[in-house]
Amino acid sequence: MIFSSIAFLYYFLPVTLVLYFLTPRPLKNTTLLLVSLFFYGWGEPKYVFLMIATVLLGYVFGLLIERYRSKPVSKVFLTLSVLSSLAALGYFKYADFFIANFNAVTGLSIPLLRLALPIGISFYTFQILSYSVDVYRGETEAQKNPINLAAYVALFPQLIAGPIVRYCDVALMLKKREHSFQKINEGCCRFVIGLSKKILIANTLGELCTSFTQSADLSVLYYWLYVVSYMLQIYFDFSGYSDMAIGLGKIFGFEFLENFNYPFISKSITEFWRRWHISLGSWFRDYVYIPLGGNRVKRARMLFNIFAVWFLTGFWHGAQWNFIVWGLYFGILLTLEKFFFLKKLEKHPVIGHIYVLFAAAISFMIFSAENMGDAVSRVGGMFGIGVKSFVSAEFWFNLKNYAIVLLVACIGATPIMKKIKNHADSKWKNTFILDAFEILVPIALLVICTAYLADGSFNPFLYFRF
Amino acid sequence: MKHKNIISVFIFAIIVGAISLGCFFKPHTQYSESERRLLEKKPVLTKETLFSGSYTRDFEKYVTDQFPCRDSFRSVKALFSTYVFNKMENNGLFTEEGHISKLEYPVNSHMFDNAQQKFDKLYEKYMKDKNVNIYLSIIPDKNYFLAEKHGYLSIDYDAFIKDFKDRMDYMKYIDVLPMLSLDDYYKTDSHWKQEKITDVAQHIAQSMGADASAQYSEKTLDNPFRGVYLGQSALPFKPDTIKYLTNGILENCIVKYYDTGMAKEGDMYNMDKAYGKDPYEMFLSGTSPLITIENPSAKEDKELILFRDSYGSSIAPLLAPAYSKITVVDIRYIQSDFLGSFIDFDNKDILFMYSTTLLNNSMAMR
Repeated sequence: MIFSSIAFLYYFLPVTLVLYFLTPRPLKNTTLLLVSLFFYGWGEPKYVFLMIATVLLGYVFGLLIERYRSKPVSKVFLTLSVLSSLAALGYFKYADFFIANFNAVTGLSIPLLRLALPIGISFYTFQILSYSVDVYRGETEAQKNPINLAAYVALFPQLIAGPIVRYCDVALMLKKREHSFQKINEGCCRFVIGLSKKILIANTLGELCTSFTQSADLSVLYYWLYVVSYMLQIYFDFSGYSDMAIGLGKIFGFEFLENFNYPFISKSITEFWRRWHISLGSWFRDYVYIPLGGNRVKRARMLFNIFAVWFLTGFWHGAQWNFIVWGLYFGILLTLEKFFFLKKLEKHPVIGHIYVLFAAAISFMIFSAENMGDAVSRVGGMFGIGVKSFVSAEFWFNLKNYAIVLLVACIGATPIMKKIKNHADSKWKNTFILDAFEILVPIALLVICTAYLADGSFNPFLYFRF
Repeated sequence: MKHKNIISVFIFAIIVGAISLGCFFKPHTQYSESERRLLEKKPVLTKETLFSGSYTRDFEKYVTDQFPCRDSFRSVKALFSTYVFNKMENNGLFTEEGHISKLEYPVNSHMFDNAQQKFDKLYEKYMKDKNVNIYLSIIPDKNYFLAEKHGYLSIDYDAFIKDFKDRMDYMKYIDVLPMLSLDDYYKTDSHWKQEKITDVAQHIAQSMGADASAQYSEKTLDNPFRGVYLGQSALPFKPDTIKYLTNGILENCIVKYYDTGMAKEGDMYNMDKAYGKDPYEMFLSGTSPLITIENPSAKEDKELILFRDSYGSSIAPLLAPAYSKITVVDIRYIQSDFLGSFIDFDNKDILFMYSTTLLNNSMAMR
């Protein structure tokens, strides 16, 4: 089940809210767990058992790691916990990748497993890993109540598309959390904003992107229109899902950390990755980069650490070579910035902005491709390689057809609206007009989003590879 | 505002709750009048459908189709998309010059080839060694008059028609383009208006050496015609009016329908269908695989076999004065292989009259 669907908005969510708020406080996590399992089982009936098994292993290993924390055996339990989580991820997500590449290298033809990827497995595996490592490091206590741990892992707001919520960030909230009309209202508004970003902007731009992939009338400018649209689609889709997760979390009394912070206004790729998918970037920093030694090692080792992290970041996004190349591409840019021109970029913000947008455009073209050959062809197309014309009829039509949506998306990808809102808050705070506006705009957006869903408009789910 | 949060949450709860209750308790609707399609049925829950994922997939389609006040919500979406996002099209439909039209782009070359192969097969099987005169006429959809002019993606109609007629070298082409204008088409539907195409009918008949000139009286149907695009676009639009032509010759014609293989006499204009879901189906009862129109008042004993799509329904009656018998064939609803059992092709005029829309989407041809 996805958030941007009639089934979620008008069947699952109302029933869940009624059940949750009718449940006595000590049993709220149980209710959350049950509805989350239903939510997951709705889309993945078979794999709900896999998730339960992963949680149970995490729970048992967590207790064992804590019990023997000061003893060497705790490392064994940590290793077993990490390996058991990664084994499921490796089997379902990466087995075919390795078999296909092994076949290609050896000339063998070992049949592929062709397993359906359990939705959200990359997210919940990383959550379990962070829990085990945090318990091992002594940064948090092991959760004694399996219901609470399962509720944390399966929590439906962040289950299938993130953000990657760390156990230590919500451990206290699992025990005790506040519910108030203010938080519920903020949560509803945040959810609707995310829903609007997904349905009105991302899905509409997704139509343009789909037209491009089906076109026989490609041109250089059409490639550029596509990549700009794709960048914005992915940003509004991902950040929209994060907004919806954060909003739903608030309704249920949780506070999730922000996951996106206007990445396209960055002046360097280093800054871009501090603003883009923050929970993933910080996860790799804290659980891979720093344990490998981080910056406090010799230069060669540091380079290895950087490329290991970006190789894994790319591979996390999908079991294909273009995702690995996409990750390594960022590794190269970040290394160059670190050693050569980060300070220069910070001194010349205009050049920095242009550089980031250009570099991001190339990266998203690689990200959008079906395979590595397609990625090379698409990046070439941006520079006229293999493309017959500079401009085409389809480019002009799509530019006109999507001009307003693109404009709205470009404005929405910057903090302009946030600044206007802050200005309005400071000038007209607690006035009737501003309050009415803040109540009515989300309601209007909800009605419009519902209209798009009722129309059965284009509504892709982009996380099936994650 | 005092209690702003409470008021806001209360409004959210009322809206979501009301729609949710509507979703749970709205009676099942089988058919969408506006979209002219059957709506999804409630899926059956079994172990197999649940674990294969088909139950949940079908349930999501079902609840979308059965959403309360769905047509009103579709209109909100269409209006928002058109007037706020300034989209040129909504779900592939656009409005220009008071008409709603559907983008016909790009050329589907495999469909185009498929149409050619079907016609070639008919020619080889039934016409090659016979004494027949074979004609082709291609009717442009109304995008021909709208799309390119207003900056929409459009197939190159001239190239499309030229390519097709060049491939049909055993047919004599009858060009109707100069006789048509946008005004000859309904504003909310894809089809042409019968009262506007008498000159087209006469031109086609003349090109085949026949005379279809006749005086008609024009009748107006007192049922508003909400064309196929009106419901699909979900935009507020004034319905069309259907007018139809008749005279003594047409009234005396004997029309037989072979929907079940057996001849069943009927009317040229089906007044039951005129007040049904698609009033355009009043012309020769809409979709029918095989129809014969016998004209006892014909001056000559001349017969025509008309291979046609839905555009042919409204023009076939206007060709009736020129022929003693017209056999109207729609190969979307009858296997071409069976035609020999019903039709003798020898010594006939044969006209293939198809719209660009069907030639570009010919998968239904059998």
